[in-house]
Amino acid sequence: MTRQFVDDAGGGAGLRHLTLIALGYLALAVAGQAARTVTAWLASRLAWDGTDRLRERLTEHALGLDLAFHGRHTPGELIERVDGDVVAVADFVVAFVLDVVAGVLLLAGVLVVVCTVDWRIGCALLAYCVVVGYGMARAQRLAVPSAARSRAASATLVGMLEERLAGVEDIRANGAGEHTVRRFHQVSAALFRAENRDARIGTMLLAGTSVAFAAGTAVMLGLAAWAVEAGTLTVGTAVLLFQYTLMVRAPFERLIDQIRRYQSALAGLARIAALLAEKPALTPGTSPLPAAGPLGLRVEGVGFSYPDDGEQVLSGIDVTLAPGETLGLVGRTGSGKTTLARLVLRLHDPVEGRVRVGGVDLREADPRSLRGRIGMVTQDVQLFAASVRDNLTLFRPSPGDERLWQALEHAGLGEWAAGLPDGLDTELRGLSAGQAQLLAFARAFLSDPGLVVLDEASSRLDPATERRIEDGMSRLLRDRTGVIIAHRLSSLSRVDKIAVLDHGKIVEYGRRADLAADPDSRFGRLLDLAGVRR
Amino acid sequence: MTPVMRVATRLAAFDLRRYLVGALLWLPVHVLPLAGGLVLQRVFDQISGHEPAALRATLWWCAAFVGVELVRGVVIVVAWTYGVYWWCAAATLLRSNVLRSVLTARGPAAARLPHSPGEAVARLRDDVADTVDFTDESVSLMGTTLFALVALPIMASVDPVITLVLVLPMIAVGVLSRSLRRVIARLHGRARRLGAAVTAYVGEVFGGVLAIKTAGAEAAALERLRAHNRRRRAAAVRDRMATDLLDATTTTTVELSIGLVLLLAAPAMRGGDFTVGDLALFTSYIGWLTALPRSIGTILYRLPQAAVATERLSALMAPHEDAATLARGDGVWLHRDPPPAPPPPRHSGPLRVLEARGLTVHGLLHDVDVRLERGSFTVVTGAVGAGKTTLVRALLGLLPLDAGTIVWNGTPVADPGTFLVPGRAAYAGQVPRLFSATLRENLLLGRPESDDDVRRALELAAFERDLAELPDGLGTVVGPRGVRLSGGQAQRVTAARALVRDPDLLLVDDLSSALDVETERLLWERIAGDGPPTVLVVSHRQAALERADQVIVLDGGRVAGRGRLPDLLAHCPEMRRLWHAELVTEATEDRAGAE
Repeated sequence: MTRQFVDDAGGGAGLRHLTLIALGYLALAVAGQAARTVTAWLASRLAWDGTDRLRERLTEHALGLDLAFHGRHTPGELIERVDGDVVAVADFVVAFVLDVVAGVLLLAGVLVVVCTVDWRIGCALLAYCVVVGYGMARAQRLAVPSAARSRAASATLVGMLEERLAGVEDIRANGAGEHTVRRFHQVSAALFRAENRDARIGTMLLAGTSVAFAAGTAVMLGLAAWAVEAGTLTVGTAVLLFQYTLMVRAPFERLIDQIRRYQSALAGLARIAALLAEKPALTPGTSPLPAAGPLGLRVEGVGFSYPDDGEQVLSGIDVTLAPGETLGLVGRTGSGKTTLARLVLRLHDPVEGRVRVGGVDLREADPRSLRGRIGMVTQDVQLFAASVRDNLTLFRPSPGDERLWQALEHAGLGEWAAGLPDGLDTELRGLSAGQAQLLAFARAFLSDPGLVVLDEASSRLDPATERRIEDGMSRLLRDRTGVIIAHRLSSLSRVDKIAVLDHGKIVEYGRRADLAADPDSRFGRLLDLAGVRR
Repeated sequence: MTPVMRVATRLAAFDLRRYLVGALLWLPVHVLPLAGGLVLQRVFDQISGHEPAALRATLWWCAAFVGVELVRGVVIVVAWTYGVYWWCAAATLLRSNVLRSVLTARGPAAARLPHSPGEAVARLRDDVADTVDFTDESVSLMGTTLFALVALPIMASVDPVITLVLVLPMIAVGVLSRSLRRVIARLHGRARRLGAAVTAYVGEVFGGVLAIKTAGAEAAALERLRAHNRRRRAAAVRDRMATDLLDATTTTTVELSIGLVLLLAAPAMRGGDFTVGDLALFTSYIGWLTALPRSIGTILYRLPQAAVATERLSALMAPHEDAATLARGDGVWLHRDPPPAPPPPRHSGPLRVLEARGLTVHGLLHDVDVRLERGSFTVVTGAVGAGKTTLVRALLGLLPLDAGTIVWNGTPVADPGTFLVPGRAAYAGQVPRLFSATLRENLLLGRPESDDDVRRALELAAFERDLAELPDGLGTVVGPRGVRLSGGQAQRVTAARALVRDPDLLLVDDLSSALDVETERLLWERIAGDGPPTVLVVSHRQAALERADQVIVLDGGRVAGRGRLPDLLAHCPEMRRLWHAELVTEATEDRAGAE
C-alpha cells in the first residue's frame, strides 16, 4: 500500500484515492493491534497453563525425591527452582508467541513480497536473514551457560534469605543482625558478578543484531539505489523495501529487548531439566503391606552410611518385633536412633541387610501402602501456614470434622481447639513446640497404621500433659507394633523390649523387664542415673 | 511526595554519579536515531531524484547509516553493562534495608513478618524488582523525551501541521494511562498477593517435606498447589491483560499517527513540498517517537505497581521507619567485601538484677513478674501452652507487649529487643535454627572470637565428643545443606552459639528436651559451673528443676507459683500436679520391677 501511495502521489493520482489508501492503512493497523491483544491474552493463558503444569510436575518430582536430596537443597532454593525458573520461562513463552512466531511469519511474508518485486533483492535479503539468524542462534548457545550461572546465584540468594528469615529471632537475640546483612551483601555480590557476565554477553548479542540489521538496511538501500538508477525499480518500491526491512527489524528488536528474559528462560529450562533428571535413590516396589492388623518388624543385619560422606552411621543392627510388640530405643544423642527410625519408615534404604515390615522387604513395598501402614511422630513437628484442618489432614480430604475434633481431644488439645475463633478453619499460628507435638499426635490418631514410630515424640511435653494424653497414646499403640525413641526413660515404662544404641551399634538388647532387673545392664544403670526406680 | 516517589528518588540518588553516568550513556541510544533519520532522508531524496547525486554518493550515505548504527551498538553494550551494576545495587540496597530492619530495628519483628518465610522471600524478590524497574524506567523516559525534544522541531521545520497532528494522539495515551492507574494497581496487587501465596506454599511444602512424605500426603499437597496455581493464573492473566491493553492502545496510536502522516502528506507530496526523503524521515522518526508515549505509558502503569510493592516492603519494616529508611543509601558492596560488622558496643554495668513487671501479651501472658538476680539459676516450668516460651520471648523483646516494663539494674529498658543482646544477654530458642554454613560460622555469626573460644563454648554445651566425630571439625558445614546433626546435637550447638557470646544473662528455651540423661546432667553442671553468671531456663526436666534457685510455675499465662522446688512441691498445687505425673510413673516402674 505504501508503494502504491508513494508512486501514486508522485504520479498525481486523485486525493480521494490516496485518502482511501490511508484509511485502509489505519484499519489494518487497528485490526493488527486487536489481533495482537487477543493473541497476547491467549498466549498468557497458555503460558500460565503450561507453566503451572510444569510447576506442579516439578513439585511432584521434588516431593518424590528422597531426603538426601532435600538435605542438599533448602526450601528457599527449591522455591526458586520450582517457581522462579518457571516464571522466567512463562514470561518468555508469552513474548515468544508474540514476537518470535509473529516475527517469523512477518519475515516470511516480507521475503515473498520482496521476491515478487525483484527476485535478486529477495534472494539477497533471504541469504542475509539466514546468516543473521544462524549467528544469533550460535551466540545464544554461548549465552545460556552464563545465564544458568546467574539463575543459580539467584537461587542461592533466595535460599539464604529464606533460611535467615526463618531464624530471625535467633539472629536478633544473639546480636547477629549486622553480620547477617553483611553475609547478604556477599551473596548479592556473587549474584551481581554472575549477572554482569550474563549481561555482557547478552548485550553484545543485542548490539550485534542491531548493527547487522543496519548493515542489511544499507545494503538493501544501496541495491535499490542502483536498481532505480538502472530503471528496474520505481521510487515507491524502494520506499517499500526500506519499510519492509524496518518491519523485519522490529520483531527482532523486540526479541532482543527481551534478551534477559530469553536467556534466563533458556537457563531456567536447563535447570528444570536438571531437576527432573534427578532420580530418587529409592525405587518403589509393588508388594502391599498387610492391609490390617499390627505389623511385625524384622531388622536384619542392617548397616547404613550416607552416600556423600561414607561414614558408617549404623552397623550390624538386628531387631525382631512380633506384631503388637513395642521396642524402646535408647542411646546418647547422635548414636543413630533417628537414622534407624528413618530406615524403618523407608526414608532411606539400608546399605547392608534389610528391613522387613509385615514380612515384606521395604525395598519391595508399595509406597502407598507403606505410608498408610507405618506412622511416625517426631520431636520437631513440621507445621504449615494453613488452617488447623489442613495441618491435621496434611491437605488430604477430611475424614469429617467430628473425627478431627475427636483426634484433637485425644491429643489433649480439646481445650485449645475450643478457643479457636474460626474452629478448624482458623489459620494455625503461634503454637508452642509442646502443642505442636500434641498436634502431631492428633495427626497420628487420624491414621490407622500397623506400625508406629515415635521419635522423641513427647520430649517437649511436661509430665502432666504427657499423662493427660496417655489414654490417647495407649490407644495409638494398642494392637499396633511400636518403635519408641525417648530420652526420658519414664516414657519407656510400657515397652516390651529395649535396645541400647552406641555409635551405631546395638550394645544391649533384650526384654525390658530382664534388663531392668539385671544390676549390671546399661539400661539399669541409665534408670539409676535418671532417678527412675527400676 | 508519595512513598513510592520518595523511594524512587532515593534510589536514583544513592549513587547519583552512577545513575547520571548510566543515564548519559543511555541518551545516545535514544538520540542517535535522529542522525539515522536524517541520513535516510538524504538517501531517499537522492534515490527519488529530488536531490541530484551520483550513485557513489548515495552508497556513501548508506555506509554512514551503518556507521551511526554501529556507534549506537557500542553505546548499548557499554551503557547496559554499566547499568547492570546500578540495577543490582539498587535491588541489593532495598533488600538489605528490609533485612536490616527485620534483623536489627527497634521493636519486635514477630509483629511484622508474614507467617511463612516464603512469603517474605517473595516480597524481597518480586516487589523489589517492581520498585527498581520503575526507577530504571526513568532513564528511558529521559532519553525518549530528549529524542522527542529534538525530533519534533526537525519535523516541524519540514511540516508543522503534520507534526502537531502526531503529538495529539500521544497526549491521549498519557491521559488514558493515568486514568487507568487505580485499576492497574488493584489488579497488580492482587496478582502479587496470590503469587506470593504460591511461593509461600511451595516453601511450606518443602519445609515440611518430612511430614508430607511420611504421611504419604504428596498427592494432596499437589492438589492444593493446583488450587493456588489456578487462583494465581486468573489474577496474573488479568494483570498482564491490563498492561497489554494499555500497550496495544499506545501501539495503535502510533500506527494511527503513521496513517495520519500518509493522509496529510498526500496533498503536500503532490505539491512536491513534501519529498519522499521527508516521508522516510517521518516514518523513521515516528517509530522512535512512539517510544515516548510507550515510555510514559510504562512509567504510568509501573507507578501503581511500584506503589503496591513499596507498600508491601514497608510492611516488613518497623513502624517508626518510613519510605526514606527503605531506600536509605548506606553502602552497597558488589565489588569489594563489605567491611566487617562493627563490634558490639561494650556494655557498661554488668547485670546486677533484671526485673520484669506486669508482662502482658494478649491472650498468652497475664501480668507476670520476673526477678533475676546475678548468680541465680531460674527455671520456668509449666504445662504445654502455659506461656513459657512466650515469657522468654516477651523478656527479650521479640514479641509486642500489651503491658509491662523491663528494668535492668533499676533502669527501665525502652526497647528490650535491641537492649538485651550479647554483651548483656544471649538466647537459644526452642527449635534449633542452624544455617547452611560451617559450624564455626554458625556459632560466631560475625563475632571475632578465636577457635579456642569456640571450642570452649562447645565444651560448655557438652558437645566436645560430638565435635571430635565431625569430619572437618569446626569447618564442617552443618544446617539444612550440611551434615545432619541430630535434634540433641543441634540444640547444643545453638546453646554454644549463645555461650560463645559470653553473656551476663543466658536464656535457653527447652534446651535439653532431646538430650539423654547423662549428657543433660553434664550440660547443666558445666553451664552452672563455668557458664554465664545468670541463667534462665525453660524446662520441665528434673535435672534442671533440682538445680534451680528459683522455679517459676506458669499456668494459663499466669504465675502459679515461685520458689525452690521442695517448697513448691509442698505448697503449689500446679507444681504438684506437674510433678505428680513423675511420681505416678515411678510407681508404675515399681510394679514393672516387681513383676
